[in-house]
Amino acid sequence: MATRAEFLERIRREVRRTPGLFPASAAERPPRPAEARAAVRRQMAERWPEALERFRQEFERVNGLFHRAAGLEEVAGVIRDLAREKDAHELITWASAELGLDLRGSLESQGLSIVAAPADGRDDARGRYREAAARAPIGVTGADFALAETGTLILLSGPGRPHSTSLLPDTHVAIFGKDRLLETLEQVGIMLEALHLDAARSMSGSVVSFITGPSRTADIELTLTRGVHGPKEVHAIFVEAR
Amino acid sequence: MSNQASTKPFAERAAVALRDTFLQEALTIATTKFIGLRKDSFAGFPQGEALRDRARAIKEATLQRLDDYLERLADNVERLGGHVHWATTGDEARETILRLCRDRRVKMAVKSKSMATEEIELNDALEQAGVVPVETDLGEYIIQLAHEKPSHIIAPAIHKTKGQVADLFSREVGQRLPADPEVLTAVARKELRQKFLQADMGITGANFAVADTGTIVLVTNEGNGRMVTSLPRIHVAVMGIEKVIPSMTDLMVFLAILARSATGQKLSVYTTLVRGPRQAREVEGPEEFHLILMDNGRSRQIAGELREALYCLRCGACLNVCPVYRQIGGHAYGHTYPGPIGILLTAMLKGDRAVKELAHASSLCGACHEVCPVRIDIPRMLIELRHRLDRERIAPLAERLVFKTFRRLLTSPALFRLSVALGRVAQRPFVRNGRLRSLPLVFAKWTRTRDLPPVATQTFTQRWKGLR
Amino acid sequence: MTHPIRASLLVTCLVDLFYPEVGVAMVTLLRGLGVTVDFPPSQTCCGLPLFNSGYQDEAARVARHVVPIFSASEHVVVPSGSCAWMIKKEYPGLLRDDPALGKDAEALADRTHELSQFLVKVLGVTHVKTAFRGRVTYHDSCHLLRGLGESQSSRTLLSNLEGVELVELPGADECCGFGGSFSVRLPEVSTSILGKKIANIEKTGAGCVVACDAGCLMQMSGGLSRKGSPVRALHLAQLLYSEGGSAPLPTPPPEASAGKAGGRTRAA
Repeated sequence: MATRAEFLERIRREVRRTPGLFPASAAERPPRPAEARAAVRRQMAERWPEALERFRQEFERVNGLFHRAAGLEEVAGVIRDLAREKDAHELITWASAELGLDLRGSLESQGLSIVAAPADGRDDARGRYREAAARAPIGVTGADFALAETGTLILLSGPGRPHSTSLLPDTHVAIFGKDRLLETLEQVGIMLEALHLDAARSMSGSVVSFITGPSRTADIELTLTRGVHGPKEVHAIFVEAR
Repeated sequence: MSNQASTKPFAERAAVALRDTFLQEALTIATTKFIGLRKDSFAGFPQGEALRDRARAIKEATLQRLDDYLERLADNVERLGGHVHWATTGDEARETILRLCRDRRVKMAVKSKSMATEEIELNDALEQAGVVPVETDLGEYIIQLAHEKPSHIIAPAIHKTKGQVADLFSREVGQRLPADPEVLTAVARKELRQKFLQADMGITGANFAVADTGTIVLVTNEGNGRMVTSLPRIHVAVMGIEKVIPSMTDLMVFLAILARSATGQKLSVYTTLVRGPRQAREVEGPEEFHLILMDNGRSRQIAGELREALYCLRCGACLNVCPVYRQIGGHAYGHTYPGPIGILLTAMLKGDRAVKELAHASSLCGACHEVCPVRIDIPRMLIELRHRLDRERIAPLAERLVFKTFRRLLTSPALFRLSVALGRVAQRPFVRNGRLRSLPLVFAKWTRTRDLPPVATQTFTQRWKGLR
Repeated sequence: MTHPIRASLLVTCLVDLFYPEVGVAMVTLLRGLGVTVDFPPSQTCCGLPLFNSGYQDEAARVARHVVPIFSASEHVVVPSGSCAWMIKKEYPGLLRDDPALGKDAEALADRTHELSQFLVKVLGVTHVKTAFRGRVTYHDSCHLLRGLGESQSSRTLLSNLEGVELVELPGADECCGFGGSFSVRLPEVSTSILGKKIANIEKTGAGCVVACDAGCLMQMSGGLSRKGSPVRALHLAQLLYSEGGSAPLPTPPPEASAGKAGGRTRAA
C-alpha cells in the first residue's frame, strides 16, 4: 500500500502536467452561510404557503400520503387511524424532545405501545431500541426540511433521532411545521453549508437522509414495486400550529 | 460466470446477444422506457441545461486540484473518527477489505450496489476468504444468486425474466414461488432484512464524496444503502478518486441532474449523506467507518486523453441511448463497465489492448454525448482510442495497411479515378438487376445482409462534363 | 442581389461513385435557385472514414489535399451531414499546426454548408417544388443532427412541399447503424440496428424515407431492397426542384421492387 504522502504526490504530479480542458471553477459556496440561512428563513416565512402546496403535489406524485393537522390532537388522530388501519399495536418514535411533541399521552390511552428513541447511546438502550425498530410496523419522526420542488423529506440523525425510525418499519410518518419548508435544492445547499459550520463545533449527527417517497424498485422486468427494503408507505403530516 | 464470454472475440459475444430473443425484447423495452423518462424529466426542467454545464465545470475544476480535494476529504473523514486507506491498485483495495474482515472477525458483509466493488471483483475475494458477501440491491441480489455480472450500470438484472428470478428465489428459500414481481420483491425484503441485521460489515461505493465535510453520498431507490450504512458495526466505502467534489453547494447541482438522467426521477428515493462513524450519544450507526480511496489506473488519465471520462457519474444514460448497447446489452462488452462510457473506462482501468475490438463498437452517432449529464464527449475519445490502437500498432497490420493505402488514393485524384474504373470492372460479375447482392471477401460483410449499389456507370465527375 | 451566389460542389465520394444522380439533382436545384455552380475536379473524399477509424495523420493528409481545392470558393455545398461536419468541425483541428493551411482550413469551415442548411439558412429558401406525390418521412443523420445541430431545415423544406405529406419517423433521431467502417466491422450489430430503423420507417406508411447523407441512404436502401420493401430511400436533393430548374426525376429503382414503388413515386 502506498502511504498517504506517496499517493497524493502521484496525484499532484499528474495534476501539474496539465492545465485542464477549460478554465473552470466549482460552485460558489455562500460566503456567510449563517446569514444566507437567515435570508432563506426570512424568504420562506413569506412564501411557505406556496411551498407547502408544491410540496404536497410533488410528495403525492412520488406516492407520498399527505395530511394536514391543526395541532397535536389531530396529529395523534391521524396516527391512531393509521395504526388501526394497519392493525398496528406498537410504534417507534424519535425522542419526544426531537419530535417536538409528546404523543404518549394521546396514543397510549388508545392501547398503542410507544418506544421512543433514547436521548443517548448507552448500549442497553440502543439494543432495546434496535429490537423495537426491527419489529414495529410504524415509525414516527420529525422532518428537518421539507423540500417542495421534489417532495422530499430531509432528516438529520443525532441523539434521540436514529435513522432506522424512518427506515425499518413498513410505514414511516414524518411530522413537520411551516418553518421546515424549503423551495429549492439550492436552498437545501445553503442549509447544509450552514449546518456544516454548526456541526464543526458541535459534532452532532452522522447522517442526513433525503427521503423522496416510499422505497421502490423496478429491478424485475421494470415492474415498479414499493417497499423493497425501506418503508412501503410514507406519510407527511403538516402541523399548522407549529 | 456469464463473464466467461469475455474470452471469445467481441463480435461473437455480440452475435450471441443478438440471437437471444428475450434479451432483445428486454433491452428494447427497458432502454426505450429510460429514454422517455429522461426526456420527459428534462423537458419540464428548463434550468437543466445550465445545471449540466455547471456540473461539468465542477468536475473539471475538481480535477484541476484533485490532490487538494482528496487531502481535504481525508482530513475531514479522519477528524470525524473515520479511517482513510489509499489504494493505488484494485488489488490493494481488495486486500484492505480482506484485512479488515480478518482483523474484525467479519463473517458476513452486506453490500449496496457499487460499481467500484464490481471493478475489483470483491465478491469472489470475500468468498474465498470465508466471508459471505450479500448483495442487497434487488437487481444485484438476483444476479448474485445467478452467479452473473450486472448488465446495466443502474439496472443490473434487466436481462432476466421474472420466471428466471422466480426460479432463483425458489431455490434460495426452498419453496416454489410464482413469477410475480410483487411477491418476489416481498421475498427478497424478508430474506435480506435478516441479513442486514446479522451482518458485521456493510460495504458501499460512493456516488459523491464531499471534501469540505468528509461526507460520503449514496443515492438509491430501495433503501438498502441506508441499511448497509447504519445497521452493521463496520461500514467500508470504496470509491474511485474521481468521485470527490468540493462542497455541499456542488452536491446540490449534481443531485438535480443525476436521477433525472438515470431514471427520470427528480431525486432518487434516498439520498444518504454519511459523515464518519456513529457520533457521541447517537443511538445507531457503525462503530467504525473506513474510506478506501482507489486509483486503479485513474490518475494516469488526469493528464491523459481519457480525462473527460473521469467526469462520469455512472448514471447509465449513455447506455440507454447507444444503438449498440441497445442491441447487445451489457454482458457482450465483457467487462465491468458496459456501453460507450464503459469502453473508455475499460481502457482506463485495463489499458488499450483490452479495448482493441471494443473501441470500434460504436457507430459514433453521438447520442451518448447528447444525453450525458456532464456532456462527456465519448465519440471523440473513442476516435482517440482508435488512433492510439494504430499508433501503438495494436490494430491489425492488414487493417493499418488498408487505411494507409486508401489515404494514398484519396490524395491522388488520378489513382483514385483509376481504382474507381477498376472497381467498376471488378464488380461486373456480381451486378444483378442493378444491385450488388453477394460479394466476396470483406465486402461480404456488407452484402450478407444488405444490398449495395454498384459503382455507377458514369460517376458524377464524368457526368459533370455534360452538366457544364 | 448584386451578383449571383457562387457555390462549389463537394459531392462526396459516395455520391460521386454510387449516387451521381444526387449530385445531378443538386446542380439542377441550385441552378434553378439562381446559384452559379462549379465542381472542382480534383476532389476525391473528405477523409472522414480515415478519421473515424483513428487514422488522424492520414486524415490530415487528405485535409491538406482538400483545403486548397476550395480556397477560391465563395461557398462550398455538401450533400452530406457527416462530410460537412468533417470539414467544419474537424479540419481546423487536424490542420491547426500547419503554418500554410491552418488558417485556410478555418476559413473553409466557415464557408462550408450542408445542403439543407445552405438552402434554408444561406439562400433563405423555404419553398421549393417536387415531382413526388404522397407521404414521406425523414431520418435525421447523426452528424447533421448532433454534429451540426440541424434538425429543422430539411423538415421545413419537406413540410412546405405541395402534394407531399411529411410524417414524423418514430425514433427519427436514432442511428441507422451505418457508422462508416462500423457497418462492416460489426455487420450483425449494424444490421440489427438497421432492422429497427426499417420497422419504424414501415410504421409510417411513407413511400419514401428522406435523408441528407449518402451513408445513411446506402444503409437504409440496402436493407429495404434486401427485404423487398417498396419503400425507397432518397436524398433530399432528389426530391426537390425549383421553379427555374427542370424537375430532377428520381431514377427508378432498377429491379422488381420498382413495380411496387412505382405507384407512389411516379414523377410529375
